[in-house]
This record gives sequence, C-alpha cells and structure tokens, in this order.
Amino acid sequence: MATLTQEQYRYSHTIGFYAQNGRGFNNPVDVALGRDGVLYVLNRAGSDVELRMPYKRVTMCTLDEDYLGEFSSGGTEEGQLMWPAAVAIDAEGNVYISDEALHRISIFDARGRFLAKWGVKGSAAGAFDRPAGLAFDQDQHLLVVDGLNNRVQRYTPDGRFLGQWGKGGCGLGELNLPWGIAVDRAGDVYVADWRNDRIQKFDAQGRFLASYGTSGRGDGEFSRPSGVAVDAEGNIYVADWGNERVQVLSPDGGFLAKFRGESGLSKWGESYFIANQDELQERQKANLEPELNLSPTADLREESASVEKFFWGPIAVKVDDQGRLYVVESCRHRIQVYRKVTR
Amino acid sequence: MSEHDTALMAHLLRRAGFGATRAELERYVAQGYEATVEELLHPEQTPAALEDEDLIRRYHVDENSLMLVESCQTYWLYRMINTRRPLEEKMALFWHGVFATGYTKLNQPKQILHQIAMFRRCGLGSFPTLLLEVSKDPAMIFWLDNKDSHKDAVNENYGRELLELFSMGVGNYTERDVRQCSRAFTGWTIRNASLHTARVARDSVWPYGRLDWQFEYRDDDHDAAEKTFLGHTGAFNGEEIIDIICRQPATARFIARHLYNFFVADEPQVPAWQSVPPCDPEAVRTLMDAFVKHAYDIRAVMRVLFNADFFKRARFSKVKSPTDLVVGTVRLAGGHRFPDVEDVALALETGYMGQQLLDPPSVEGWHTGSEWINSATLMSRVNFASRQFADVNKPGVRAIIDRVRALGTRQSPGSVVDACVDLMGPLTVDARTRQQLVDHVAAAGDVDFEANGDSTSAAERIRELLQLIVATREYQLA
Repeated sequence: MATLTQEQYRYSHTIGFYAQNGRGFNNPVDVALGRDGVLYVLNRAGSDVELRMPYKRVTMCTLDEDYLGEFSSGGTEEGQLMWPAAVAIDAEGNVYISDEALHRISIFDARGRFLAKWGVKGSAAGAFDRPAGLAFDQDQHLLVVDGLNNRVQRYTPDGRFLGQWGKGGCGLGELNLPWGIAVDRAGDVYVADWRNDRIQKFDAQGRFLASYGTSGRGDGEFSRPSGVAVDAEGNIYVADWGNERVQVLSPDGGFLAKFRGESGLSKWGESYFIANQDELQERQKANLEPELNLSPTADLREESASVEKFFWGPIAVKVDDQGRLYVVESCRHRIQVYRKVTR
Repeated sequence: MSEHDTALMAHLLRRAGFGATRAELERYVAQGYEATVEELLHPEQTPAALEDEDLIRRYHVDENSLMLVESCQTYWLYRMINTRRPLEEKMALFWHGVFATGYTKLNQPKQILHQIAMFRRCGLGSFPTLLLEVSKDPAMIFWLDNKDSHKDAVNENYGRELLELFSMGVGNYTERDVRQCSRAFTGWTIRNASLHTARVARDSVWPYGRLDWQFEYRDDDHDAAEKTFLGHTGAFNGEEIIDIICRQPATARFIARHLYNFFVADEPQVPAWQSVPPCDPEAVRTLMDAFVKHAYDIRAVMRVLFNADFFKRARFSKVKSPTDLVVGTVRLAGGHRFPDVEDVALALETGYMGQQLLDPPSVEGWHTGSEWINSATLMSRVNFASRQFADVNKPGVRAIIDRVRALGTRQSPGSVVDACVDLMGPLTVDARTRQQLVDHVAAAGDVDFEANGDSTSAAERIRELLQLIVATREYQLA
C-alpha cells in the first residue's frame, strides 16, 4: 500500500457559522456522521450562565451545509445537556452523547427524540467522572472514555456495564485525563491520552499495543491531543489541540502530514455577508493574515486567535468512508473538511 | 510562632494577595516576614502561576476562545484563586483599577485579558516601561480612541487621560500639554483598525468568532514635528513623552497615592486628590522618595511599602473590594480548585457586589473603600460568603473544623469562638460581636466532638459559626 503524503490532502470547504441557535454552531466539540449524510454537531456553548442554556444543543446538517434542524438544550433534566463532550451513532442510527458535568450518557433517536440515559458520578465500575470520548466497537458495544477516572469503559447500547480498562499514570497502557477515542477496522482502539501527550493503541480487550508521540511541537509530537480517528487504511488522524493543528500518522505511528488550517468562508458565512455588505467591504480591505512576529515559544493560540483561517481549538476529528477528514474547531465554531486526492 | 507573627503575615497576604489559609500562613511565618515579602516580589521565581491552565481550557470551552466577558472574568477569578504568584495577580488587579479599560465599549473581552497579562508581566517592573506598554496596548488604544488620532486630526482622549488619570493628576499640566502629548501619540494605532471598528460597532462575532487585535505604529500618520511639552522641546514621539512624564514629581505623588490607597488604607477617591491631602502624608512621601530613588521601579517601591511600619499598622483599614471578598473567601473555604460548571457564578457574584471585572464603570475605574458598601451589595457579600462555608466537606472548612477539634474534644462556646475567629483571619472582632457569637454557640451548650460517638453535630455547629463570622462587619475589612 502506498504511503500517504501531505500533498494528497486538500482543503475542501468549511461548514459553520457562529450562532446561538438555528443554522450554525456554538463552541462545537464533536461531530458524528449519521445515516443519509446527516452530521450531528455537538454544541457545548460556553459559558454556563442561564441565558446561554438554549445554545447548548445538537445541530443537524449535511456536508453541503444544508441545515436540517436541532435538538436538546442546556440543563440537567432528561434530554438536556450541560457539558456535552462527545457524540457517537449506533447501528440503529441512534445518537449517544456523553456529558462531563452530568456524568451520564444520553441517547436520542436519529431525529433527536430523547430515548434514555444512564450514569452516576463516581469511581466504581459503571460510574463516571467526566465521561468524554465515545466510540462503538465492532460488537456494537459503546466505549466510553471516563476522563477523571483514567479508564475506558465498555457498555451495551442500553447501558449495561461490561468491563473496563486503564488506570491513571504515565506508563505504557496508563492514562492521564484521556479524551477522544476511535476504533479501527481491525477492532483495535485508539485513545487520545490527553495529558500524557500521546495516542495509545489497545486491542479490543483493552490490552496495550502501542504508544505514539511524545510532548512537543515537532512532527509526530503532541500537545494535549484531544481527538483521534482512523481511516480505512489504518492511518491515524489526531486533533493536536494544544498545538492548534491536526496530524496524520501512518498505521505504525510514523508521521505523515500536518495541517494548520486554511478555512475560507462557509456558505452560511457567505449568506451573512450578503446581508452585511458594509462589514464585508471592511473585511475585504483588511489583512486577515497579519504578520504577528511571535517568538518560537509563543503560544500558538495567539496565532490562531488572530489568523482566521487557522485552526483554533481543533478538538475532534472524524473520517468518513470517502476518506474525508472533518476537523471540529471549538473556538471558531466551524468544521473544516479535507479530502484525499488520488495521485 | 507568635500570634503577632501570624496576624501580621495574614495582613501581608490579604494585601499582597487574596488571603491565605492557616497552613499557608504557617509556611510563610516559618520563612519569616522579609523573606516572604521577597518571595512575593519575585513571582518569576515561582515556575508557573497556574498548574492547570490546560484544564481550564479543556473543561470551560469558552475560556479557550474567551469570546464572552463572563468567561474572561471567570478565567481571571479562577486564576486569582489558584495562582501560586499572589502579588503578580494583585498587581494586575491594581493596575486594572488605574488603567481602567472596559468591555462595554470594546466588545472584545479577550483583548482586556491581554492587557491584564501585560500587567502581570510589567506590573512590578519599571513604570516608564509599563506606561509604554499601556500606550501600545490594543485595548487601551481602542478604549481611548487613539486609533482615531491622526497626524492631521488629533484626538486628545488618550493624551488627556495619560496625564490626568494614568500619571500626574489634574492640575499639574496645561491644555497645551495635553495637545502636545496627544500629537506625540499619533500613529499609535491597531492593525486593521477600520475592520475592527466596524465589528465592534455591531458587536459582530461573525462568521467565526472574534479576531485578536495587534498594535501597529504608522510612521506616515505620526506627527513628527517639534513639540513643547512640560517645558521640554523636541520632535517627541510617545517614548520621550513618557520619559518626561515619569520625571515629574506629580507622577511620583500620583502613583504613591494610588499604591497607598490600594495596598495600605482607604483614601478619598482620585477626583478629590487635587484638593484633599493624603491621610498619611509621611507615608506617601516615603513611597514617592522610593519611586524616584529607584528610578521609577515599582518592585522597589512595593518593597518599601510592605516593610514599612505604616503598612504593618494598617490592619483592617480597608474595605475589601468585591474581588478581594470573593477570591479570599473561596480560597479560605477551599472551593473552585478544579474547573467546574459552577465557576462562572464567581463572575456574576463580583458583579452583584459592584465590581464587574474587565468592565469598570468609567476610565476612572471603581470608587473604593466605603463606596463598595450599600444595602444591596452588603447583602450579596454576606450571602455569598455564607454559602461558601455551608458545606463541612469543603477542604478549607474541613481544615478549620479539624484544627478546632485538635484543641480539645469538648470545648466551651467562648473557646470555640476564639479559635474560629483566629482561624478565619486571624480576625479582630469587637467585644459585642464576640459576645453575640458566643451566645449563639452557647444556646446549644459546649461543643463536644465525641457526643454520642458522632462528631457530625459538632462539625455542623462550627460550620454554622463560621457562617456567622463571615457575616460580621469585621470580615468585610482587609
């Protein structure tokens, strides 16, 4: 199999627009690729004041930015969300959402009707302390990254506890505030071991297989990786959150490519400027890629906060069956889509 | 370790920080007063102010982008609570009150947090450097309209406030000096000023959130002609103007009064300074002399201040600002030590008490001292502090209960009150207040940690007593 290169990825387009409700996103933290091309975008929507509770929601849209609707809202009642962290879709098309504030998993059907929830706060088997990443394994069991408990738990789709692995630490197989999770076609599991600055690979039973990366800004190094995805060829995509970039690793963990972001205007963004021509004119006159003269050790967030096209808060990555890469940016309220091109 | 040492150290930490727990005080007292002052004066020797910057941004998604003002306020309050560099943060709060820059006009709260970060970097250093950084600060440039000050159309807003509120005070310069000063700062603007102005005007966060601002010097828009300013003549740019300002005795006096008012004792408000002399002229003179002698180095002035007798005598001579009250109480009770969904409440609370951080009421900053207190804000202060002590399982509350228990398993009401008043400060309460506290405890008899083999009741009674102590007049004072 030919090795992928940086040149084989092209920026495709951007989905997104800052919105308190309706068409757009508000601090999106994850996306799930549902049936019939429906994207479920999870909006965590800070801050946590009462006024902003309705902004916490799931937005349904398509790859082409057709807005399909939204469901849920902020709150502690059934069907509501407070600190939603991740979203996954089961074989039936139901939508599972983890919540780090309510320490529970909520289930909705494909149209957003609330179905069920489970979870209590704690460290016992079957309890959660800030559940984060979600993924279904090959047996259609739900894997839940249990962040502050430094472990991965496995459940049936209806919430029956099956088992767990992992413990806190920095040794091989140990975890430190893990976040994102993905399962490859062989059933192996990849965990974004956030505070250990690495990706760890386990087999389906949770036995340690490999560790990729170390702390740093170089190629193949990570700063607080938050999300991970694996494509059909086994290439590993990492939301290198602290470095404000996405990296691609080969199936054996070797560095292949990195992206800093190159967003243009989304369709929703273009619509906004059609109605706000004066602001558009100012924007066209401005330099949106200013020279910042940052020191080599400067926080890359400062660059991201000033240069709109760059990733800012790349928090989750997903890959679809066409090989398209979706990068969710929590601070820019959008998803940048990249595609592979054949040589 | 004497009671005097502990009380003096608590005083230092209330002023040079946001209060200290008893365990922290014990460490400081063991180290000694002057060594503690030096530790506080050199925050750069403590490796990182905050251990969990990444955790804040992970859990509080908007404290990563800092798009919303309450997120920025929450971030700063959380940092004040958890910093390992208390004076660094207190200096930032001090300068925020002097160089007051407000969200209401900017619609760009993160940019004010950048200014606060600059205060952390420069707040204990050279005053001329600080003034220079303030003059280049994008939030300040926007706040005082210097982006609208051009070679051929001078806007005097920044030049005027630089002299009136940031350095010399009213009555020490002429209108002509204001004009010349303003001319010297033409061309000091922000990049993409027109776009940012348009976005601010409509509070636009579209399409993808806010964009940071950057300082830009435009030589083509700078008035490079000769100017006469405070008796000096030359083709001055902003740097030379700042040098001249810093050499003025009025500047030394103005900064000394600000430092005295914030760190030592409540003074009349700034607008009165032209006509009302300092409460302690000798102390202000001491600070002025230090400012000049040490070439306008703020760290050197703060060293003199914290080691001065007038400072050590000034216990409880200030009304706590809302920020002092909120941060100090949370630190004492042991809350908000890990990012949580309730954190944003802190930002709302200081607002209810009259201090919206990052959004002062005007360029004059907040009026302080007794002006913090009215019937509504007092109620907010008491209710907030009481809520912080409502849970016996909070680490700080538990630590106080454990220390009281260590004094004896069965104690008289008077003994328990004295212990708790001591551990909450040490505070000094008047005899009437003490008697009211004792009477309250005495209504249920001695406090017995082993009554019926259960310490729960004793712990709850102490918790209740602590809630009463934070409701006292004395607790409102720093």
